[in-house]
Amino acid sequence: MTNPYAGSGGPPSFSSTSAGPGGDRHLRRPSYATVAAGTGTASHRASASERSAVASAGALALAARGEQQPQAVNMLSRPHSRSMDMGEQGGQRPGSGWRGNRMGCLVHEDHPPFFVPSYLGRSRHVARLYREHRRHLEELQELARQEPIPPPQPSLSTSSSNVNLHKLHTAHAHHHRGPVQDIIERLPPPSEEDKNLPLPSAWSEEDKQPGLEIQSEGTEVRFTGNCKTSDEAASIRSDHPMPKECGIYYYEITILSRGKDGMVGIGFSTKRASLNRLPGWEQESWAYHGDDGYCFACTASGKAYGPRFASNDVIGCGINFRTGEAFFTKNGVYLGVAFNNIKGDRLYPSVGMKKPNEHLRVNFGRTPFVFDIDRMMEQERRIVMAEIRQTDVTPIYPSGDESALTQALVAQYLAHEGYVETAKALSRESWEREQSIRGVSQPYQPPDSDDDVHAINRQKIRKSILDGDIDRALKYTSSYYPHVLEEERNRDIYFRLKCRKFIEMMRRYAELVAATSSPQLVTKSIDSLASNGHPQQMIEDGQNEEAEDDEDGDDTQMELDDQLHREATTTKNLSAVATDDIDMDASQELTRSQTLRKGAFMKKEDLQAAALAYGRELQMEFGSSGDVRPEIKKELQDLGAIWAYDNPADSPIAGMLDKGRRVLIAEEVNGAILVSLGKPSSAALDTLCAQTEALLDDTASKSGGAAAFVQVFGDLLAP
Amino acid sequence: MRGTHSFDKKVEEMKPSKRLIELPHWRRAKRLVTKLRSREARRSSGHYHGRVKADWKILHKSDINWVIMDYLVSEGYPGAAEKFAQETSLPSPVDSESIRERVQIRNAIHAGRIEEAIEMINEIEYEILDRDHHLHFHLLQLQLIEIIRTILNKPGGNPQGNDFYPAIRFATEQLAPRAPTDPTYLKALERTMALLIFPMEKMTQEFKELLDVKLRQKVANDVNRAILENRGEQSEAKIRQLIRARTWAESEARAAKVDLPSSILLGLGSDERMTTTGNEGDAMVS
Repeated sequence: MTNPYAGSGGPPSFSSTSAGPGGDRHLRRPSYATVAAGTGTASHRASASERSAVASAGALALAARGEQQPQAVNMLSRPHSRSMDMGEQGGQRPGSGWRGNRMGCLVHEDHPPFFVPSYLGRSRHVARLYREHRRHLEELQELARQEPIPPPQPSLSTSSSNVNLHKLHTAHAHHHRGPVQDIIERLPPPSEEDKNLPLPSAWSEEDKQPGLEIQSEGTEVRFTGNCKTSDEAASIRSDHPMPKECGIYYYEITILSRGKDGMVGIGFSTKRASLNRLPGWEQESWAYHGDDGYCFACTASGKAYGPRFASNDVIGCGINFRTGEAFFTKNGVYLGVAFNNIKGDRLYPSVGMKKPNEHLRVNFGRTPFVFDIDRMMEQERRIVMAEIRQTDVTPIYPSGDESALTQALVAQYLAHEGYVETAKALSRESWEREQSIRGVSQPYQPPDSDDDVHAINRQKIRKSILDGDIDRALKYTSSYYPHVLEEERNRDIYFRLKCRKFIEMMRRYAELVAATSSPQLVTKSIDSLASNGHPQQMIEDGQNEEAEDDEDGDDTQMELDDQLHREATTTKNLSAVATDDIDMDASQELTRSQTLRKGAFMKKEDLQAAALAYGRELQMEFGSSGDVRPEIKKELQDLGAIWAYDNPADSPIAGMLDKGRRVLIAEEVNGAILVSLGKPSSAALDTLCAQTEALLDDTASKSGGAAAFVQVFGDLLAP
Repeated sequence: MRGTHSFDKKVEEMKPSKRLIELPHWRRAKRLVTKLRSREARRSSGHYHGRVKADWKILHKSDINWVIMDYLVSEGYPGAAEKFAQETSLPSPVDSESIRERVQIRNAIHAGRIEEAIEMINEIEYEILDRDHHLHFHLLQLQLIEIIRTILNKPGGNPQGNDFYPAIRFATEQLAPRAPTDPTYLKALERTMALLIFPMEKMTQEFKELLDVKLRQKVANDVNRAILENRGEQSEAKIRQLIRARTWAESEARAAKVDLPSSILLGLGSDERMTTTGNEGDAMVS
């Protein structure tokens, strides 16, 4: 917990920030950039008091690694923007603009890029691949944390991130319609023994017949050899097989050039099919041939299937793993089912050719397809959803009464989550409905139970956490359920709750920073404050915004104020400095704006000091014991990283400050209390969702098929 | 205690509270970006990724709350929906008045006041019954049944010939003209009129069903669905499809011979799965 680059935390640097050009409040503090460039000299502007604060706060793990932290964090943010760049370029021209960007993975330079074909945008399998990829990136981040790599680009300027921000907008804007692919990031190093094989992304350098030349990042293949016999040909397979987990897999080939009467075969095969003949003719290979329009399934005698194809034609090949059918398309037109009973076991996209200079380009989904495969995917999904609609619930609910099961699930969810009022209202309304059916009317008697008290207690605790008032939550918890947080199994929850308190303090701090250093203010120096009305208005705006974001802001402030008194000894020094500074700057008549401004300013400084002190407390409680687990250590480090940013809300780690995280911790505490009361830790409806997703996932991995087309969170829960 | 099957662990990881969504659903992402953009524009902030990602998580958890809200609204629990909005800080149902209207119609049908229900339907969505002849016919049939019911239940028993007059008049005036348009209508009308002939105690199951209150519930549900559809809303609560999907997914998984515990419980308590497979106590061992 430290602020070695102390700059704008304290009053002196405020003036330095405000002197900068308008709108640069997103700039990381100057000293940060210096550090990132590897020449960090700690706190060249730090006042003596800050320096001592730094020294005393050095206990937090970050202090030791202060210089590396921002670098590591920055690594995380870079691939994102980079990938969006790729997304845009890739969308325009295949194979262009993504080599040379090596930032995604500094270790594995030769990764193929990670991209998501548009029709697989909701695929659970692709989501899993992406998660793995993220994990890999995190490992790299950890690596960088331990061993800083000199930044590849010396300028870590924010201007680039603003550009990327803009690009992100446009990228999203384009994505709502049409088969535009999304390159997300680079892929982890492919490994064959890996259970989750990546999507095909390029032709394989190894799995090909000699005489074939791979060009353009593995997307083009050209025949440069010669075939002696009429039987002989040269085939190639992709780097990875078509995953049955996707439900449908589809790719397209553009015939860039076809030799006279040349024979080109497009299809798929297993690794066992030999590559010295066209796919389709060999065992375990299937293909559609351009010279006669026939399709061949593992035999040299084919059947008439579609039109012939020649230069500039775009041929698509797809497998529907639900139906076991393979199909082809020509220039966006569906040609019908070519093969049945295709079992999805390690089938690789494959092409073969015979004549010199025959030249094909493949699209594995990195650029938009000619055929509207997205629609086909959607149709499949509808078929499966319709099948689900016909399902009878008897297997999971013996009475088979869907309405009763639904009602039971909802009621249990409300009780479990502690939505007491809703539960009451629902029980009353269902009772009334029951009465209206039976045609009798008796006075409603609300059910009375012990659970109600617990529900109310749990709701109070949850509300406190959701409001960001961790102290109140801790107080409630320890008075209602004294031993829950002391239990060994809940130690992590307790730790995260304590960390959250720190984050809430920093959140508050960030809000104050936002309120005191908004762009208008930056352009005006402090001494102009009193003479015009703008700053006042600005501050009010800022406060409105806070109120909007955080209805309970006042409570939090009060709590923090309380704390400030407790921390008075530590903060005295700082606040004295702060007050002096302000008084000097605003030595004119006292307007309301000034008072407001001063108030906010003092709070900001005090808050920082209080947070610092609390961070030290955290470190004492969790970080200094002998055997600190790495997760705890990392968490503490991450917390420390907040200090590296002038305005944490605008930093790459802003996610930590997000209010959404409160929900997670509130869930955990709620679950722990429920378990202590002898109840399941999660609501049956939560369990049901999770079971469904797990069942679908397992089934799709095992057999491909229908389960691959449905996603709980995308299809069943989405508005 | 239950042994931990690898499947159980997987379920644990996938619980909404613990699972973070990482792959954007584009429609949602777009909505989010628009939302963020307007908010962020004021702050003129950089660094979107962190925020967008974090917001996904929020939405994700509140997805379950959304499903609950969707249920309360579409199945017509206006009071609960309002409370739920307050307790979760979800936006209140757009128009709780329209939910109440649906509830009133439902209650009227449940109570056998069909004429009143038809009037209300025509008042709020006049074109539904003009367009959906099936629904209209079923309502009228129910109305006829209700008329017959009052006759049959008449105190003093044994209704006389004259007592049947209102039923016959209603049938000839309202239902008979529609009967030729669809063979099923004719059959239904015949069946309903037969209620007048049989004495109560000799009625077969087929006729008893017509007098069962479950028919009221069914018609009430159909009306509710029609109104929702007519308003361009989801015609049924999402949670129902979710529950079916859970059932479907298990049968698919078992058919694919995925390695699963012998029984997968929801944790709802006593009324779920009373050892349907016949191997008692298996759920505890698995």
